Amino acid sequence: MAGLLVLPNGGPLTAQEADLERGREVYDRWCASCHGVEGDGLGPAAGYMLPRPRDFTRGLYQIRTTAGGEIPTDDDIMRMIDEGMPGTTMPGWQDQLSRRDREAVKDYIKSFYAPFETMAEPEPLDFGRAPRATAERIEEGRIFYDSIECWQCHGDTGRGYGSSGPELEDDRGYPIRAVDLTKNWKFNGGGSVEEIYRRLRTGMDGTPMPAFSDLVDAGFMTDDQLWNLAHFVRSLAPDDRPRVREVIRADKVEPGQVPRTVGDETWEEVEKFFIPLVAQIIILPRWFDPAVDGVWVQALHDGEEIALRLTWHDRSQSPDPAWMQWQERVLEVMEPVEGDPVEPDPRPDRFAVQFPPVIPDGMERPYFLMGNSERPVYLWQWQSDRDGAEPARARGMLDVETLSGSIEADAQWEAGRWQLVLRRNLEPSDSEGRLHFETGTPIPIAFFAWDGDNAEEGPRGSVSSWFFIYLSEDPPPSTYVAPVVAFLLTGGLGLVVVARAQRRERALGGGTTGDPDPAVHPPPHDDHRDDGADGGGDSGPEDDPRPPP
Amino acid sequence: MRDYLRHPFWQAIAVFVASYVLIKWGIPYIPPLLGFSSAMVPSSVIIQYMLTVGVGILVWVSDNEARWKRFKEPIRNLLVRPERRRARRVFLVLVPLLMAFVTYDAVRPKVTAPAGLRSVHPANPTSITVNGETLVLEGLENPFREEGREEEGYELGLEIYYQNCMPCHGDYLDGQGHYAHGYNPLPLPLRGGGTIAQLTESYVFWRIAKGGPGLPREGAPWNSAMPAWEAFLTPEEMWAVTFFLYQQAGISPRTWDEH
Repeated sequence: MAGLLVLPNGGPLTAQEADLERGREVYDRWCASCHGVEGDGLGPAAGYMLPRPRDFTRGLYQIRTTAGGEIPTDDDIMRMIDEGMPGTTMPGWQDQLSRRDREAVKDYIKSFYAPFETMAEPEPLDFGRAPRATAERIEEGRIFYDSIECWQCHGDTGRGYGSSGPELEDDRGYPIRAVDLTKNWKFNGGGSVEEIYRRLRTGMDGTPMPAFSDLVDAGFMTDDQLWNLAHFVRSLAPDDRPRVREVIRADKVEPGQVPRTVGDETWEEVEKFFIPLVAQIIILPRWFDPAVDGVWVQALHDGEEIALRLTWHDRSQSPDPAWMQWQERVLEVMEPVEGDPVEPDPRPDRFAVQFPPVIPDGMERPYFLMGNSERPVYLWQWQSDRDGAEPARARGMLDVETLSGSIEADAQWEAGRWQLVLRRNLEPSDSEGRLHFETGTPIPIAFFAWDGDNAEEGPRGSVSSWFFIYLSEDPPPSTYVAPVVAFLLTGGLGLVVVARAQRRERALGGGTTGDPDPAVHPPPHDDHRDDGADGGGDSGPEDDPRPPP
Repeated sequence: MRDYLRHPFWQAIAVFVASYVLIKWGIPYIPPLLGFSSAMVPSSVIIQYMLTVGVGILVWVSDNEARWKRFKEPIRNLLVRPERRRARRVFLVLVPLLMAFVTYDAVRPKVTAPAGLRSVHPANPTSITVNGETLVLEGLENPFREEGREEEGYELGLEIYYQNCMPCHGDYLDGQGHYAHGYNPLPLPLRGGGTIAQLTESYVFWRIAKGGPGLPREGAPWNSAMPAWEAFLTPEEMWAVTFFLYQQAGISPRTWDEH
């Protein structure tokens, strides 16, 4: 092993060279599988991810504090290593590798791009401080968003569905999606207003996102306008990333009040439950680039019917001819190595809700991925090129059989978002393979989504694990009786204890040390009335300070 | 204030409350400040501990006649003293109210997921059939442990791991891959002493080959997102990735006793 520590010319390693050697070791072990031993972004796992891992030999870095086109500072690279890039497959390494190892990796990564050695480390731009967010600033920002045409890529609601979407590509020609601005937890460089502002100033090199610093310097726009824009973009996303909860609650409404359409105002008041969806990479053929990453679920029932409103973001209403070229491009780079080749094809968007055919007694339930030959599942299947939805029975993702009857459906795609209402009677039209919904018990539920314009169908789509839906019921009378009984019992017991203590005290001859003379401190006259009001019972003994002579 | 501090009743209350705070929040949160790992104490254990503390306090206060008398004093005062009448009434209302609330909380309909009991490492079958070949798990060794095959196993295993396992089990084998959050149960972390370090390689090979669908009932096969890798990989490749897991995580598998 000593050979490693000696240079080819036989001289001992300098501190810098030893550091680089350490960087190489850590890099080869933890980074090369994606970024490649040569730093070219072509490691063995690279083909399984989009966006692809960074090619360090090009010296292009998305997330910087330096002007567009410049190399990053050392701190910029460290930040990427430490915190990773949300919305991509790059994790943060801060808690995994020592500071020294991370520094060494940073130096080693720089060695893949020669100009790092010859060029002086650039100065970070001066970003100043964020002005406070005000309604005026956000409104100004919205107007500015329109005027500089951010909507071309991000769409006018920010959901990333702009008209140039199908053509977008990165510096290496890979398909790239404009980020959905309403999901700031997926912003590659972080979702705070400061981070958004920095991306506006520096651009994101290697992506279609331009840098605006030059335009500020040239007087075409002002720094203040960029801050307004950053505040507007930040305002498109919720304050916090949606929390995932295991049980979806379906509240009970008055009979006949279950909403039938996606636009019904009743939905505005109904709690939303976020369910994350991830790639189906469990059975053949797998799909490593799903377009749908989550669904918001709302549910109501009236004791007769149940309705779900499902909301998910989708960049197009498939099949959309404009997106055929996207299908071609994404299939070219993401088609899994297994299974039959997939051709670009006009495909509808699809959604499925999964239940067990009967509510399970214990914890046992069908396999979460559409059941298996022994235990089938019951599905509600919807697709964008048909009216209504249909019930189905599946014995695995590749064995789905439509059942008779239909599920009431109302769907609408608008501005980068699908909304879908599915509705059925709690009692099935035919009990064969169809769930009978019961109130007051958690019922397993799972979700599947397919974006047709992203070439998704069959096993190529997004899946969830099992969650639960709980149909609320009117609380049984015991819910209110039991606390009253508990109150009366405890109160009565308290009075007994007090009475007994006082009786014993009297029996002992009233020897309460320091007991004030009742003549000096007579009990207030209205005491008995008070007791009658709040004690509710016979509290005579406690008010009798002295035993009768 | 000083009198209160010297009084056995208030001392007992203070010790009881302090013990609760220490057990409930001190145990999980103080050791990490000093660099040790820790965890929340389960509520059943908290009840056990608090019972012990309570008995200890009672032994202490009743150990000495004078102390016992002083200890009882505030209680007796509350029950009988005329000038405590107001406090007495407050107690007689508040305590039953509290009981009513506790009862309501216990009987009201709750929206909770049923408990999902699951054995993380259920007992393995004696033999499995992979690729038409029946393998008896006991005594089965990883062919890449043979002298001279280690590097080959590591290289092959690395490629397989990062193409197939990484999306869930993570770049760092810590169970935090980019799709991990979508699955329940969460993918297992493979590093550390808690998971594959406790298992033999033949067990790990079985789990890889048969995946979630191959789990026995107690392993909740209906929930596991672990694929049955025999559909994707050759036995050789599955042995290689098994070998790689231990190498990359820096841990050793359990081995069979030498006979």
